[in-house]
Amino acid sequence: MKILCKKEDLITGVNTVQRAVSSKNTHPILQGIRLRTEDSNLWFEATDLEIGIRCKVPVNILEEGEVVLPARLFSEITRKLPDTEIKIESVDNNINIFYDNSDFAINGYDPEEYPEIAETSSTDEIEIPADLFKNMIRQTIFACALEETRPVFTGILLEIEQENISLVSTDTHRLACSNALIAGNDKEFRGIIPSKTMQEISRLLNDDGILNIKCNNSKVTFNFDTVQILTRLIEGQFPSYKQIVPQSCNTKLHVNSRKLMDTVERASLLSKDNYLKTNTVRFNIENSQININQYSELGKISEQIDVDQDGEDVAISFNAKYILDILKVVETENIIMETSGSFSPCIFRPENNDDYLCLVLPLRN
Amino acid sequence: MGQLYQAISEVEENLSRLLNEVKSLRQYIEYLEEENVKLKRQLCAVSEADTARVQKNAARIQKEAHVNLEKLYSEGFHVCHIYFGEPMEGSCLFCNAFLRKD
Repeated sequence: MKILCKKEDLITGVNTVQRAVSSKNTHPILQGIRLRTEDSNLWFEATDLEIGIRCKVPVNILEEGEVVLPARLFSEITRKLPDTEIKIESVDNNINIFYDNSDFAINGYDPEEYPEIAETSSTDEIEIPADLFKNMIRQTIFACALEETRPVFTGILLEIEQENISLVSTDTHRLACSNALIAGNDKEFRGIIPSKTMQEISRLLNDDGILNIKCNNSKVTFNFDTVQILTRLIEGQFPSYKQIVPQSCNTKLHVNSRKLMDTVERASLLSKDNYLKTNTVRFNIENSQININQYSELGKISEQIDVDQDGEDVAISFNAKYILDILKVVETENIIMETSGSFSPCIFRPENNDDYLCLVLPLRN
Repeated sequence: MGQLYQAISEVEENLSRLLNEVKSLRQYIEYLEEENVKLKRQLCAVSEADTARVQKNAARIQKEAHVNLEKLYSEGFHVCHIYFGEPMEGSCLFCNAFLRKD
């Protein structure tokens, strides 16, 4: 392989695929990035066998070929290269990077041993506006479970049924569900996408453009711009989530999102360090007001927020982080809270928007 | 010709006899059907007292089971089908929905 390129070309490629490089030491070659020339493009590829990312960058190809280079070293050197024309030349499995009157050699791996990142073999292609999907990921990814005890909860359920698309996530303490319409779609799909994959899609996806999804029973490919993300699906059955959403409530509030977020942030400064270590915030809802009166060894807070209240008074405690996670992704001026008591799950949804809801269980203290 | 008339008369008699047999068979089938329905009713019949006793017992068992599950949940164990019996950290939406549905 022999190519001429710029520093930015290399940085773009490395930055795009780097998060798919395996952090485990089980297969040393998976700690590498594969560089491969094809049709006037230099393809960057990385995989940890769960997620694979490919990205093409147009460069001047003098001689075709492929190499696999240690990701960390290659990433470091590309950032530190001067802004000049760069020539990369491979000799066996190794490369020489020529810049100005200097050169830097990197010992690589045998490209024959690198696993093939095969595109999903499927005729089912779904197209969705990139900004819409990116926002749906943002609205749901925070509710994924972090611990691996139940793998199905570490991913986001992607459900496509005719013109309806849904992303659903839960860690069993809270649930986030975002729905949207994709006009003209007649395909169906249901699978759990690892949250790491969703995070990468969200990171790399530009707001303008179209996201193309190719799916089958075990793998999904997301294509956009010059990037391909291939992922395996998480095996297992995502529990029926619709039945856990209460259909009625005893108390309904319309609250200013910004005010609630500021108040909860202030209250959590004290609750973070209380003796329970649970980051609890307690809402006393009465007479069209949310009252927050909390104290700890650090201090005391007393705040009131005026709300539109419909229904009974109620006192309810939440994990402050769960409330803040929701308020960070809700863009409407007001948020609706629906609850049926101190121990019943509370529904949060943006005002005038039925496409998104988040369900949070109160703390039982 | 006389023999022909005689033969026709015999056929007529046979047909008439067959018709009568079919009629009597039909009556017998109707009787058997009625008898069958009657027997089925007798077989399924449970006295109101028995029904009330069974229903009361079922409700008691269900109530006891629900109380036990609520107790288990409040003591910090999952009662949902996903994690049943495992220790619970905080609370669980699926356990909550399961108890609420009950």
